[in-house]
Amino acid sequence: MIFKNEIVKKVSELIVEKNCIINEEVKVFLDEYRGPFSKVLKENYKIAHDEGLPLCQDTGLVEFFVFIGNEVKLEEPIKDTLNEIVETVYIHNPFRYSIVADPLFERKNTQNNTPAVVHVFETPGNKLEIRFLIKGGGSENLSRLYMMRPSSNIENFKRAVIEHIKENGAKGCPPLHVGIGVGGTSDMAMVLSKLALTKDFKERNSDPKYANLETELVRELNELKIGFQGLGKGVSVFSVHIEVSPTHIATLPLGIAADCYLCRKGVIEFEDR
Amino acid sequence: MKIDEIRKFKVGETIKYYGELIVMRDAAQRRLRELIAGSKELPIYLGGKIVFYAGPAKPPKNSKIGAIGPTTSERMDEFLEMLYYLGVIATIGKGKRSDLAVELCKKYQRVYFIAPSGAAAYLSKCVINAEVIAFFELGPEAIYRIEVRDFPLMVAIDSLGNQIF
Repeated sequence: MIFKNEIVKKVSELIVEKNCIINEEVKVFLDEYRGPFSKVLKENYKIAHDEGLPLCQDTGLVEFFVFIGNEVKLEEPIKDTLNEIVETVYIHNPFRYSIVADPLFERKNTQNNTPAVVHVFETPGNKLEIRFLIKGGGSENLSRLYMMRPSSNIENFKRAVIEHIKENGAKGCPPLHVGIGVGGTSDMAMVLSKLALTKDFKERNSDPKYANLETELVRELNELKIGFQGLGKGVSVFSVHIEVSPTHIATLPLGIAADCYLCRKGVIEFEDR
Repeated sequence: MKIDEIRKFKVGETIKYYGELIVMRDAAQRRLRELIAGSKELPIYLGGKIVFYAGPAKPPKNSKIGAIGPTTSERMDEFLEMLYYLGVIATIGKGKRSDLAVELCKKYQRVYFIAPSGAAAYLSKCVINAEVIAFFELGPEAIYRIEVRDFPLMVAIDSLGNQIF
């Protein structure tokens, strides 16, 4: 059994930390940045750290990717635990409640930042891995799905990604982390594009073909010169990750997701002994 | 700040702003539009004001305001002419706006500033005073009046319709 208390304690701490403490990989880029507002951005992470304030007022919708081993026993459905964690963390910290219940009619704020979005995947073994994104609305609005022709080549694929980021990148608080889901079904491609955003910048796809494609996209997207704050200075993307899945003979779904320059995300693993 | 001063700003210029800002975003502007459409009285007066597109986080203990920073301005473009009609002299947000917004800045000789995004802990330190002035029930999307000092801004669209993006 993995006890609820342990999950609550560790995941709660991590969500608070990721809202208030700058991502280490981002910090390297930020410290090198010399363009407009550079002093403010550097001061910002110091103030957030010292005063326990969130780095951004948009403390996001928390999106979880849970990998549960088939030998893992839990006290309750993981979705319930995670929602309880989000509620408690957002009530007890100076964060923002950014979730509305009905999206179309009332748009009434739920006043506790739940529900979170929880994707659950089954894996073999005794481990429970929880990945999450603290996803702001600005970068979320950059998400796109293209149902490409199955006859598309690599150039068509790259062109779709580059054109999309060129047109919209400046709106999502760049430099961006770009996540790509390719294959599967339309919905699966989008979920994979989000899962790709939970990776560290330096990780690469285990398939050399996709690893190369990731590296090429990083280079070509940086040639767009979007820069920090969309003002043309510094890098445009930190990294690109591609997640792949088999697909139907008639389809080639391409899901694109982007994370803002803060890249607030976490990974934590538990073991059922 | 007066409209004559606003018109002198050139695209790319950076300033430190001292004074009042009216904070509102999607939901509040939609309500204002509905009130106008229904010929109802508005809960606030916007003549000569600067609107900051933002929704603050909850304040920490003993603070008037929580983390605050600009949201994407392009989503507000459909309300920009309404704001200008109501007398707003400038807007503050983040990111590139539509061609419509550029045209409106030129037509009404008003300015669009950007504030640094993802810097909400820093910007909250520039806020001296804050109060909710309308639509309290909208929570982070209520309309706030805030007073700021040393607030970093850059001119992104000037009153001649020149833009930085």
